[in-house]
Formats: sequence, C-alpha cells, structure tokens
Amino acid sequence: MSGSPGVEIVRLEIPSRLELLSIIDKVVDGVADQMGFEDDDKDAVAISVIEAGTNAIQHGHGHESERLVEIVFRLEPEELVVEITDSGGGFDLEVLEDATAPENLLKERGRGIFIMRSMMDDVSFEFTDKGTRCRLVKRRRAGEADVSGGPAPLDDTL
Amino acid sequence: MTRRDDGDVSILTLSGRLMGGPDTEQFLKQIRDLIDSKRSRVIVDMGDVAWVNSSGLGALIAGWTLLKEKGGSLKLIRVSRRIEQILAVTKLNTVFEIHPDEASARAGFGG
Repeated sequence: MSGSPGVEIVRLEIPSRLELLSIIDKVVDGVADQMGFEDDDKDAVAISVIEAGTNAIQHGHGHESERLVEIVFRLEPEELVVEITDSGGGFDLEVLEDATAPENLLKERGRGIFIMRSMMDDVSFEFTDKGTRCRLVKRRRAGEADVSGGPAPLDDTL
Repeated sequence: MTRRDDGDVSILTLSGRLMGGPDTEQFLKQIRDLIDSKRSRVIVDMGDVAWVNSSGLGALIAGWTLLKEKGGSLKLIRVSRRIEQILAVTKLNTVFEIHPDEASARAGFGG
C-alpha cells in the first residue's frame, strides 16, 4: 500500500473469472470498514465494484480468463475512489437508458451502469486505446469517520 | 441449486451467486424444465444467495417473464438486505413479489 500523505492505496489484479469477484467483495468490506462507512454505504460500494468488475470481465475481456482486471482502491480523507480497469474496447455511453423506465423495466440487460450511478456519488469512464477505466467515488457522510483515526494499517499483500 | 415440488408449487433453492455464469444458465434451464412439466407456480428461495449482479437480475426477469407467459408466477423469498437494495434501486421490487418465507409466498398463490 502506498500513496500521498493522507491517501492510502490498495491495488489488486484478478483474472477475468466472475467467480473471483468474491475476492473483491472481501476487500471492499475491509476497505469500507477502514473508511468508517455504514452498512448501506458499504453495500453500495460492494455492489457497484462487483458490477464494474462484471462489466470488465464480460464486456471488456469477453471472459478470457488470462486477461487481468485491475482494481485500485484510493482511501482518501473524505472519499473512497475505486478504479476498475480492463483492456477492452469500451462501449458507447450514449446508448445507456433509464433502467427503471416502464418500457425498460422487464429488459434482461442494461442495468449495470444504472446501478452504479444510483449507488455511488460519482461514476465516470475513461476510454483509451489501452482499455477502459471505470472510476467510482463514495464520499464519507457526516458522522462516518475513519475508524482508525488516521492512516489505516491495511495489509496490502492481497 | 435444488428443486422441491410440493403440491402444485415448486421451490427452487439457489445458493452462492447469480452472476451471469453457469449459475444463471442452470436457473433458466430449471425454469424451462418446470414449464415443460406444466408447473408454473414457482418460489425462488434466495436465502443462501450471497450475490446477485445485473446479469443475475436479468436471469430472474427472464424466469419471471417465461412463467408469466404461461399464466404462472415466480415469487422470491428470504432476500438478503444487499439484494433487496439492488431490487429497490432498479425498481424490480415492483415486479417481483417478495415474501419473508415459504408459507407467506404459498399463501400468495391463492387456491
């Protein structure tokens, strides 16, 4: 783990297998605890990171397990930033629709990014010729405090 | 996944995750098998499901739609807080009938 003063970084890479997303779930749990997030916020981060990971594995890497998805957690004083990066070709954000509109409610696909945007404070994407990076931000709410009272001694040997 | 038939109601007990892999294919195959056997009242027990993602939601919707087209229905029971949160944010809690337990879901089928 490393980072600027007051910022700590946890980084991991997983092969593109959906089964391995449970590892991310456990890491999110630990990181969210360090941020002092309440259960609802912890769930929101976990659900969103799993969705972003699913997108990377399914759409970015086409389930080619040897391709690695990188997940970087930045524990900042006021917010948690999670970046999920794959080496795929990205997608067209313009075609994304409101998944809760009556005409879309029974569609089987197209909810992943909607879920992330509903649960996180900020969601953005960066498309480059090297791949796609999804950036998720969850801010601390009033009353949620760094439970460690300072830089947290997280184990970065995941 | 396990299946138990009790009268005209079938109970599918899922476990682990429903995330767009073989788990979801198996779930939909089971729904199609039930329809082929003329069984269209289905309770899906989610109590042991740790994770559902948007692909898993898609499978639940596909199953709900298949059964509804045959005049049947699919009800969810024992849904975790986390999965309830996903259903709420996607408004799918307005589509799926959600019950705390099997008895309550069975009562919902009526005669």
